[in-house]
Amino acid sequence: MNTFLKKNWPAAALLGLAACQPDLEAPRADKGTADFSSYVAVGNSLTAGFQSGGLANFGIETSYPAILAQQFAKVGGGEFVVPTFGPEQRDGSGYLKFYGINTLGSPIILSPGQSVTTTVAGESAPRTITNNPADYKFAFTGQKLPSGTSELTPFNTTQPNNLGVPGISVLSADRTASAIPQIAGAAQAYGAINNYYQRLLPAADRGVTDYTTFIGRKNATFFTCWLGNNDVLTYATNGAVVEPTNPFSGLSDTTSFGRGYRNIVRTMSKTGTVQGVVANIPNVTNVPYFTAVTVPTIIAGIKANPNIPNAAAASLYIVTGTGTVREATATDLLILPASAVIGTPSAGSPLPVGIGYSATAANPLPSKFVLDAAEITAIQTRTNQLNAIIAKTARQYKLGLADMNGFFSSVALGGIAINATANNAGFIRGNLFSLDGVHPTSRGYALIANEFIRVINTTYGATIPQVNPNEYNALLLP
Amino acid sequence: MKFKSLLLTGSALLSATAVSAGGYQVTLAGIKNNGMGGVGVGLSLDQAAMFYNPGALAMVRERGVHLGANATIARQAFRAENGSMQRELQNNTTTPFSLFASFGPQEGKFRAGIAVYTPFGNKLEYAQGWEGRFALTQIDLKAIYVQPTFSYAITDKLSVGAGLMYLALGSVNLQRDVPSQNAAGEFASIELDGKAERKFGFNAGVLFKPSEKLSLGISYRSKIDAQVKSGDVTFRNLSATAAPGFQATKFAATLPLPATTTIGIGVMPNEKLTIGLDVNFVEWSDYRNLTFEFNEPVNGSRTSSSIRNYEDALTFRLGGQYQLTSGLTVRAGGAYDNTPVKDGFVTPETPDSDRITGTLGASYKFGEKFSVDLSTQFVNLKKRTQTQNELLNNGTTDRVAGTFKTSVVVPGIGLNYSF
Repeated sequence: MNTFLKKNWPAAALLGLAACQPDLEAPRADKGTADFSSYVAVGNSLTAGFQSGGLANFGIETSYPAILAQQFAKVGGGEFVVPTFGPEQRDGSGYLKFYGINTLGSPIILSPGQSVTTTVAGESAPRTITNNPADYKFAFTGQKLPSGTSELTPFNTTQPNNLGVPGISVLSADRTASAIPQIAGAAQAYGAINNYYQRLLPAADRGVTDYTTFIGRKNATFFTCWLGNNDVLTYATNGAVVEPTNPFSGLSDTTSFGRGYRNIVRTMSKTGTVQGVVANIPNVTNVPYFTAVTVPTIIAGIKANPNIPNAAAASLYIVTGTGTVREATATDLLILPASAVIGTPSAGSPLPVGIGYSATAANPLPSKFVLDAAEITAIQTRTNQLNAIIAKTARQYKLGLADMNGFFSSVALGGIAINATANNAGFIRGNLFSLDGVHPTSRGYALIANEFIRVINTTYGATIPQVNPNEYNALLLP
Repeated sequence: MKFKSLLLTGSALLSATAVSAGGYQVTLAGIKNNGMGGVGVGLSLDQAAMFYNPGALAMVRERGVHLGANATIARQAFRAENGSMQRELQNNTTTPFSLFASFGPQEGKFRAGIAVYTPFGNKLEYAQGWEGRFALTQIDLKAIYVQPTFSYAITDKLSVGAGLMYLALGSVNLQRDVPSQNAAGEFASIELDGKAERKFGFNAGVLFKPSEKLSLGISYRSKIDAQVKSGDVTFRNLSATAAPGFQATKFAATLPLPATTTIGIGVMPNEKLTIGLDVNFVEWSDYRNLTFEFNEPVNGSRTSSSIRNYEDALTFRLGGQYQLTSGLTVRAGGAYDNTPVKDGFVTPETPDSDRITGTLGASYKFGEKFSVDLSTQFVNLKKRTQTQNELLNNGTTDRVAGTFKTSVVVPGIGLNYSF
């Protein structure tokens, strides 16, 4: 036995060696020809990390610029300051919360302070659900801006690297964009109108410094710019109805947009000497805000409703953008809030015949809850025109172009698989869009960051690793 | 130190890991064979011939018992295409075992025997939070065959044999995370646990020995479809909102345990030296899909099907033994194993790749009746990468893109007792 063990000693040693853990070398991470030592992000709510109808720390921290900066750090990227709220104000503006699905299959989504009486799926009796505002750690100061919006605690320690401002459009960002004095003036005074912009501005600049001037103070070595969405989206989400009180609620005209956009990009790129990537405008009608509530589903629900007299003959009636009243068709897009309005009683039409139900077309759904075919075409045409300006500007200043329009069209068409998960542009269960139906979830933002990385790698010969989007939260289900 | 702990685990779970041949096949039946690159179809070494070539059993002079146990120690590195770190398996050592006993008259022409072995099996436990968690977090697949065998020497040069394979125990346990998060942000998970129906198959073989220096063998092992008719489905961490879409409690699934044909040559240049060469052909192309049928919907669907599209695969084995002293025999060998898994179809439950195996072994006789065999196999799976683009093109996005690298060490010990 002794000799036996001796003879097998070499085998035992070999065995020890071969049982070693294999190692795979980490893929090479290289910055290519880009310089990420000072990265600055400019943009709107998508850049700020807006989610579920609000801006809060969890969204700011998983904004795509924050994710990008984290990956840039692997190739020599510098410090990236994100404008979070203090820990005791971490819920910022507040946000929508999800309370489950009701027996009709509709999601129960409540804003802070909102309350609803409904029967939750799986329960037998209705109950009142309240989104208690005391559960939020808001960042409101109690003051109002001149525009009437609530002031948020200023982020004034330093000018952050993520300069995303929810709500901002090219028209409202640049005082040279519009030739109309009222609009140009509103852009210059935007810090007194938009509370998210105001909180980033030093006190002396509030109401006098436009966004282009403000972002021009930052010395970037690399920047991303994703602006222009609100030049079509504000109009679209309002059912293609211009609000007289809001100078930025229409479709921005191409002349003004081009002037403003070029000025912003010229400023950030220091006339083409600073590297960066600009992103274009996704087709806004692909988001759940316009696709979650469909005309055929609503009409089927009306025809099956036993409370409506002669329900089989009833349908859904809308006011079009030109003021015509007609039956809704499958090509009309209802906005998300329409589901809470259709069928509710109004002054001229008490139940059982609520808004939009009338077979006599007497009580149609107002135009601001629906995009009709002509309105959709107008919005898409303008989106394409603005995207042409964005592409041309990118070429002019030698910047990369992230085709977010193409990317989100492909997601809307066929979904996107990530590490064995299926994701799509659907509401609630698609994983990518938050409760407001417009803004992504953290997972959606991680996908956007990956798309930026792909473009940066191609444009600058870099090999920045992408993130695993599944490590970022989709919707949390109660 | 490591060697000692391996031997101690010999009595642990009766399971096996897919380490010794492509796919989830396990060819670790005889410890002598293990030391010789897994050859055996053209040889008549010992009772393990019932597994390799039942036709050779009648040529095995000794009647007796061979008890074998192996420890498979798999180590793997994985890097996801979209991931930041190297993932490693949670270490688990499994112990495929085998038992062979043969009977028959001393000088008679026939031998009868019984064999118990694990021809298929797979056990893997992935790291917490790894990128492929929604495809698989862990798997434990077991198959134990019990095989009564009969072999008859028609002449001194030709013997035939056959066995009735009985799938005595087949079980599968699959777990993965479900991409639905509850209010605490935790992902739900699903566990599928089932026992296979008991089934029969057969194996058969011929050994032809034209001279003292040469033998030729062929053997066939039939396919058995391991079928789970009513396995249990368990969900964890499901939110109340998601729960209505995940109501299944039972599942059914079928996994082919494919047919294998092997031809083997044995060369005995002198009394002390034996060399064997085997070529296995495994009909993996039977494995097209892995389909689960549920009694109630899982994420809205009663069936879930995942593409496998395996290809038939060949394994080449070469090995030899040399009798150093009257008591001690040493062995060495190697094998090259073509993976049945095509590019872009690699799944976490079988992270397969072409394999190169080197083996060592030895036997020592303690008197006339008792001997001990030792073997070690060093299995090296080639580094294998699949991209998300390949998965998209193949319709296989239910698995994870990235690079796998696996190596396995399989020490084995065998005890022989002759009547």
